[in-house]
Amino acid sequence: MTTAEQDARPSAAYARRQNIIAAAVPLAVGAIAAVLSWQLGIGDLADPGPGLWPLIVSVAMVVVSAVLIVQSAPTGEEERFGRESLVVGVGVLSLLGYAFLFELVGFEIPTVALLVLWLKVLGRESWRVTIAVSLVASTAIYLLFIAGLGVSLPHIVHF
Amino acid sequence: MDFLSPVLAGFGVVFQPDNLFYCLLGVTLGMLVGVLPGLGPAATIAILLPVTYNIEPTSAIIMLAGIFYGAQYGGTITSVLLRLPGEASSVVTAIDGYEMARQGRAGAALGIAAIGSFIGGTISIVALTFVAPLVSGFAVDFGPAEYTMLAVLGLLLVTTIGTSSVAKGLLMALLGLLLATIGQDPLIGTERLTFGSDELLDGIDFVIVAMGLFGVGEILHNLESSRRKVPQPIKVGSVYPSRKDLAESKGAITRGSVSGFLLGILPGGGATISSMVAYAVERRVTKQPERFGKGAIQGVAGPETANNAAATSSFIPLLSLGIPANATMAIMFGALLLQGITPGPLLVDEEPELFWGVVNSMYVGNILLLAMSLPLIGIFVRILRVRAAILAPLTVLITMIGVYTVRNNVFDMFLVIGLGVLGYLMKKVGFEPGPLVLAFVLGGILESAFRRSMRTFDGDLSGFLREPIAATLLGAIVVLVVLSVLRAVRTARKKKSKEIDVTPAEHQPADRDEHRDRDPAEHR
Repeated sequence: MTTAEQDARPSAAYARRQNIIAAAVPLAVGAIAAVLSWQLGIGDLADPGPGLWPLIVSVAMVVVSAVLIVQSAPTGEEERFGRESLVVGVGVLSLLGYAFLFELVGFEIPTVALLVLWLKVLGRESWRVTIAVSLVASTAIYLLFIAGLGVSLPHIVHF
Repeated sequence: MDFLSPVLAGFGVVFQPDNLFYCLLGVTLGMLVGVLPGLGPAATIAILLPVTYNIEPTSAIIMLAGIFYGAQYGGTITSVLLRLPGEASSVVTAIDGYEMARQGRAGAALGIAAIGSFIGGTISIVALTFVAPLVSGFAVDFGPAEYTMLAVLGLLLVTTIGTSSVAKGLLMALLGLLLATIGQDPLIGTERLTFGSDELLDGIDFVIVAMGLFGVGEILHNLESSRRKVPQPIKVGSVYPSRKDLAESKGAITRGSVSGFLLGILPGGGATISSMVAYAVERRVTKQPERFGKGAIQGVAGPETANNAAATSSFIPLLSLGIPANATMAIMFGALLLQGITPGPLLVDEEPELFWGVVNSMYVGNILLLAMSLPLIGIFVRILRVRAAILAPLTVLITMIGVYTVRNNVFDMFLVIGLGVLGYLMKKVGFEPGPLVLAFVLGGILESAFRRSMRTFDGDLSGFLREPIAATLLGAIVVLVVLSVLRAVRTARKKKSKEIDVTPAEHQPADRDEHRDRDPAEHR
């Protein structure tokens, strides 16, 4: 265990609260899925309908989630959400933007933008490293996927 | 001779230049991801799935298998030199391996680990060659009832053995089963839980689940936690162990090979558990238990041998039954499906070239890995300096573009991001993705098998008891459930009697070790 990982350990009360939320969400998901499965028609055991299997699974999910809510004592595997978790938020947003722009403007510009953001802003690399890695990586991806594997990626640069 | 001729023909497949190249590529990649902490073999294989789509099936599986067992070799390096296990299966190696390194015996630790890995891996391949066709032959007559029980047993074993909390593992498995039902009903084609989305009509592709949870999830999690400084690795001296080292490790390597092979076959077993069991076994059989934790070479040789033996033998249930035994094998299952091959008891007879080509490629792969871990080790030690900040954007890009190439569909990119967020959140709250991914793969098999058996039995659940093999498997399930309930009760009682003055983070691993030590029977 490194020190950074130990810093991420939350207090007992925090961990308990987090565990309860982490069990309540699947409980809700299971409950909704159970209702939806019921509506699909469950048939009977001799001739199961499309909803029977999902219903069995979602009811089991509700039961296990309920057990987890009861057993919410900290296990030592929880990590707290803190200021550094914001990095993950930025990362996810950038990926969403990447997927959004991908087919609209081709893969080149979003790829370079994503590399610069992750290297320079999230990774705190120097400009020299950022530019070098971005250019080499974009070219390598172009060569690997479009030239090498013949995959049809939306792209604007043609040779 | 009938039995041997396809085995020998398999060598012909391996020695085709293409396949040799992919084998080399696979084991090199495996070594690399093994050395780089944070990116595990499961994530790597998941990320590379779309790339393998364009490669010939045998070559693709040879390469992916190489990544898996290659990572077992690479994981040792960081364990010994930095006390940062590159892979979960090398966690126990860090205990005595790092201690040896501090005493200036890093080379000996790495050398004996490489030699042990090679011996364990090779013994396991030989055993696999004989065991897998036997299991296949036995399983050819399995019907839906047997497959229902087999899948349930597999899932329960994974949730009870592989995870720290049975309830959490179970919940993840159930979530995996639920996700697997999205799309069309497998028997009558009714649209289920798609929320009217056309993109979800075909269900969620397994590749996307694996890439999201393992790939993107792990990258996001590392993004947050990798902002720490990586310590300087310890200098490596000669990697060739002395005669005394070899003599001391002989027993550990033999025992590690056997226990690793056996535990690898079990669903939920695999490399991680077997390395822990091997460590516990070594500590028990030694005449000088006080040396453990202070640089005992057996504490490196045993687990490292066992994790390689297990990595190899965990291919047996996948290739002979079509039931993946752990998360990485679930991804291999997905890779085979992607190539249009359904693994199962018929694989040996229907695709002998693929089967024996992949199995025999492991001999070559292990020899290559031995070469990389002994004379070429310096190169891989240098790779430790590659910063996570550079690696993260590269892997995330390959993942995103790879996902797109599966169906040329941007929707899948959003799906993989969503699953990545789920994987990240699961890590934060202490849920493991393994059971989810495995259950997702088994979900389709399990549902179809269950519904088919219910039709055969005319809705009578006791029908399972009338099939001898299914009934036996059901018996095993009952025993397993009873054992885990007993264990849960005992743990709860112990927790109550113990004052909670230690922080949970510190006492947890030691506590888990004790369990393993005391009742090894539970792992069978």
